Amino acid sequence: MEDSPLHPFELHNFLSIHLGGLDISLNKAVIMMWVVVGLVTILMIKAGSARQLIPGKLQSLGEILVDFIRGIILDTMGKDGMRFFPLIATLFLFILFCNLIGLIPGSYTVTSQIVVTAVFACVVYGMSVVMGFVLHGAKFLGILVPPGTPGWLLPLMVPIELISQLARPISLAVRLFANMTAGHVILGVLFGLAVSGGLLIGWLPFAFTIAMNGLEVGIAFIQAYIFTVLTCVYLGDAFHLHGSEDHAH
Amino acid sequence: MPQFESHFFSSLIFWEVVSFAMLLFLLYKFAFPGILAVLEEREKKIKDSLDQAERHRSEAERKLKDYEAKLNAASKEAEGILAAAKERAQRLLEENEQRLTAEAERIKGDATREIDHERRKAIQEIRTQTTDMALMVAEKVVQRSLNDADHRRLADEALDALAKSSVK
Repeated sequence: MEDSPLHPFELHNFLSIHLGGLDISLNKAVIMMWVVVGLVTILMIKAGSARQLIPGKLQSLGEILVDFIRGIILDTMGKDGMRFFPLIATLFLFILFCNLIGLIPGSYTVTSQIVVTAVFACVVYGMSVVMGFVLHGAKFLGILVPPGTPGWLLPLMVPIELISQLARPISLAVRLFANMTAGHVILGVLFGLAVSGGLLIGWLPFAFTIAMNGLEVGIAFIQAYIFTVLTCVYLGDAFHLHGSEDHAH
Repeated sequence: MPQFESHFFSSLIFWEVVSFAMLLFLLYKFAFPGILAVLEEREKKIKDSLDQAERHRSEAERKLKDYEAKLNAASKEAEGILAAAKERAQRLLEENEQRLTAEAERIKGDATREIDHERRKAIQEIRTQTTDMALMVAEKVVQRSLNDADHRRLADEALDALAKSSVK
C-alpha cells in the first residue's frame, strides 16, 4: 500500500466530529482548506489595506490577481458580470491556492478530491441555472435551442443541448480533479522511481520529478484559470441568453 | 481510488462549504473593496493624466503655432522696417549729396568772385603805388635837370605805359 502512486490521496481522520449525525471529522484535506483560507485572507487583506498609488510587492500581487480575475469577467460576461466578482474571485483564489499548496511535498491537494471539485461545479452550474430562470423565466429553456435552429430539428437539437448542458458540471468537476490527481500520480511514480533507482540511475527520474513539479505549478494556474473562465462563461450564458442583451464580446 | 471513499464526503463537503463561505465573506468584506478601489482610482488617475497630457499637448501645439505666426509677422515687419530704413538712408544720402554739391558750387562761386575782386583791388593798389614810386624815383633822378613841365610830361608818359601794361 505504501508504494501505490495513489497513496498520497488517502485520507485519515485524526479527529472524529459528528454534528447531528453528520460526520465532519477533521483530516488532512480539511486542515489544508483552513490553511488556504488563512493564507488567501492574510494575503488579500494585507494587499488591500496598503492602498498605495504606487503599489509595493504584496499590493502588486493582490492587484495582479484581482485585475486578472476582473479581466476574465469583463471578457466573458461584460460589465454586468462584475456583480459576481467576489464569488468568482474567491473561487479562483481558493482553487489556485489549493492547487499550489498541494505541490508542497507532504501537504495535501484538496482539489484532487472529486467531491470537492464536484461541489464547486454543482454550485456554479446550479447558480447559472437558477439565475437563468430568475432573469429570463421560462424563456431560459431556450438555452436548449441554439439560435437559428429550424423547427423540424428541435427533436434532435434539444436532447443534444440537454446533454451538453448536463455535461457542463461533470466536465468542470472531472477536469480539475483529474488534472490534479494525474499530476500528483506522475510525481509520485517518478519519485518512486528515483527512490528505488538508487544513486546511480535514480538522479534521472529525480530530475524529472523536479521538472514535473515546475510543470505542475503551471498546471495549477491553468486549471484554476480554466475553472474560473468556464464559471464565467456558464454564468454569462445564463445572464445574456443567446446574447439577447448586449454582450461585451 | 482513495478519492472515491465515500465516508470522507460528508466532512469534505461540509468543511469545503464552510471554508469557502468564510473566505468569501472575509474577502468580500475586507479585501476586495480596497483592492478594487485602488485599481479604479489608479485607472482614473492614469486616464486623467493622459487626458491632461493630451490637453497640454494640444495647448502647446496651439502656442507653438501662435508663436510661429508671431515670429513670421515680426520677421516680416523687420523686413519692412529694414527696407524703409534703407530707402530713407538712400534718400538722405542723395539729398545730402545734392545739398553738398550745391553748397560747394556756391562756395566756389563766392570764392571766385572774391578772388576776382581782390585781384582787381590789388591791381588798383599796385597801380597807385607804382605811380607814386615812379614819381618818387623819377623825381630823385631828375631833380635838378628837369623843370616842372618836363616833370609833368614824363610822369604822364610813365602812367600811360603802366596803364597799357595793366589793361593787358
